[in-house]
Amino acid sequence: MSLILKTLTSIQSFSNLLKPGIEVTTLAKRGAKRLNPYPKKRHPGWLPRPTHVLYKDDITPENTKFIKEVVETRFGKPDVGLGMQSKSISPLRNEPIEPQTEWKEGMRRTGVIAKKIGVYPMWLKDGTKVLSTLLQVIDNHVIRYMSPEEYAPVIQRNNIRNRLGCLIVGAESMDPQLFTKEYCGVFNESGVLPKRMLGRFLISPNAALQPGTPLYAAHFKPGDYVDIRGKTIDRGFQGVMKRWGFKGMPASHGVTKTHRRGGNIGSGGTKARVMPGTKMPGHMGNRWRVFRGIRILRINTKYNVIWALGPHIPGETNSLLYMYDTVLPTRKPSTAPHFPTYLPSIQENPVEEELWAEDVHRFDDPCIEFIEETK
Amino acid sequence: MHGALKMSAAVGRVLSQQMRQSLKVLKSLAGKKNRCFSASVPIPKEGSVSNNEQKSVNRGKSADPLECRFMYPEFLPDPKPEYRNSLREKLERADMMARRSKIDIPEFYVGSILAVTVSDPHAPGKSNRFVGICIKRSGCGLRANFILRNVVDNQGVEVLYELYDPTIQKIDCLRLEKRLDNELLYLRDAPEEYSTFSFDMEPEIIPEGTPVPVNDLKVTLKPQPWLEKWERKDLKGVRDIVVNQKREMKAKAALKPWEKYDLMKIYRETIPEEEQKEIFAEVYSDLHNLEITRQKMKRQRTFIRPKKSG
Repeated sequence: MSLILKTLTSIQSFSNLLKPGIEVTTLAKRGAKRLNPYPKKRHPGWLPRPTHVLYKDDITPENTKFIKEVVETRFGKPDVGLGMQSKSISPLRNEPIEPQTEWKEGMRRTGVIAKKIGVYPMWLKDGTKVLSTLLQVIDNHVIRYMSPEEYAPVIQRNNIRNRLGCLIVGAESMDPQLFTKEYCGVFNESGVLPKRMLGRFLISPNAALQPGTPLYAAHFKPGDYVDIRGKTIDRGFQGVMKRWGFKGMPASHGVTKTHRRGGNIGSGGTKARVMPGTKMPGHMGNRWRVFRGIRILRINTKYNVIWALGPHIPGETNSLLYMYDTVLPTRKPSTAPHFPTYLPSIQENPVEEELWAEDVHRFDDPCIEFIEETK
Repeated sequence: MHGALKMSAAVGRVLSQQMRQSLKVLKSLAGKKNRCFSASVPIPKEGSVSNNEQKSVNRGKSADPLECRFMYPEFLPDPKPEYRNSLREKLERADMMARRSKIDIPEFYVGSILAVTVSDPHAPGKSNRFVGICIKRSGCGLRANFILRNVVDNQGVEVLYELYDPTIQKIDCLRLEKRLDNELLYLRDAPEEYSTFSFDMEPEIIPEGTPVPVNDLKVTLKPQPWLEKWERKDLKGVRDIVVNQKREMKAKAALKPWEKYDLMKIYRETIPEEEQKEIFAEVYSDLHNLEITRQKMKRQRTFIRPKKSG
């Protein structure tokens, strides 16, 4: 009897499994379309974890000295000073590749990683004062190229004809002891020191560069327009006046306890709710933002510094940003840029130390004088 | 082990020597009641400095590069750490020197009388000359600027000029002198005669090697209302500021006598001495050469060939 009962219960429990689970409740996915998405780090699958916990291994001072010596003999000093590029060329790639194709409109070149080093005024030839942001192209090297077939973007495009490859560029050489062995392995192909920052630029396959190729500020020309992508200054949790520029409320005339508040956030009635995207207090800054169509006023090829027009480039001073040719259709270059990049070895006449846009007043020019029109 | 000890001893000696040197400098500075303050800090009171110190800053003879901080305060960068970058400062200094090679920017202080000629597209003759007393100097690097004040047709006029603006054609120092305060903004509330200067003023020549004269003129302010609470500013160049009891009490409450002992505040708002030395060592020789050429030009201008008589 008991056996029969047991089998019955087992069958019942088995049949429970077969039933469709009605206990599972599905929640409506809310807030999927954010107005202001948080900055997400989309970690590429091929990139291993860069840093590890620094353990205090029992390394003698002689050992550290020896490791430093080995690194310096192989790669040169990681920091030459003032963020300048070390002269040592990658031992694997001594010969940069010759550009295979001529530049045509619609081709996309690589970008560079730059460091924002400050803002100061410059004057144009008509006497107007403009503020310029200084961006230093800091020790950039090509790390890897992925062909369009190899590099499958996360979102598949319908347009198969104009598929773009991916060029990985690294900036600022660092001591390899600070990184994991796996991360250092990423730089085996290019033969350069591990970099502090990596960036990927989508390029047309014709603009591919060999790993280990250095990139300079002369990649761009004065007068060109660029897009700059950077992480804005982290301002923390801010009120509505600072975050969205609301006017606030009166300081006096009977107003109490509501001087910097936003006021009403919605109406009652049929839509008795807060509309999505309503401007309210919250975390401000620390977002990736692209500032498009910035003009280059001046380039220093010795220190690899670019003067860009305008004081409001995203990011703090001494933060790293991505810089690439603009995608704005009206500001794209009509004449050929250095394609695929500026290579000093194949250039017939090397560029000057200081390059200026046409309308910028040089500091060693004579004073600006206006000429009276004669009638 | 022995070697290491020796090393440490040697380091100690070097350090102590350095420290002694720096102490000496500090002592000498302390004697002058001043530290190497940067230009952007409102605390340094050049006016409050005793006359002995003024004598030490001889004109045209800045033997010590560190003395340049009074003559060329704009070469010191903004001490805010979040804005600092050594390469940017270096490039900015190079640009400043490039501009200085094209225009003669004379030595001047707050209280000096200047004449500035600017090219102006809207002015008749396309240029404009303004004479006035320098009431404020601010900004560092290429942003350096100064305010000139004058009274024209019984109307106070102030013009802010950028020191490195290429539309400036000429800067003349008509009267080189210092006043008791490092900002003369109170002239806005003073009677007009204190800030009235004629436009056809002749430049006054001071013999070389003499210290910059300090004008200890004391101003009486006009009756209230004022633009600022002058009684709170500890002004040396204003004679007896009289306010009512309530304002006096409030001024007393707003005093911050502890701030002069706040070493961290001073540290944050100044450029360290070692960095100042580095900065001025870089530009000193060029500045000195420019100064010498300026003096030569001045001598040529002042020398008048004696006429033959008879």
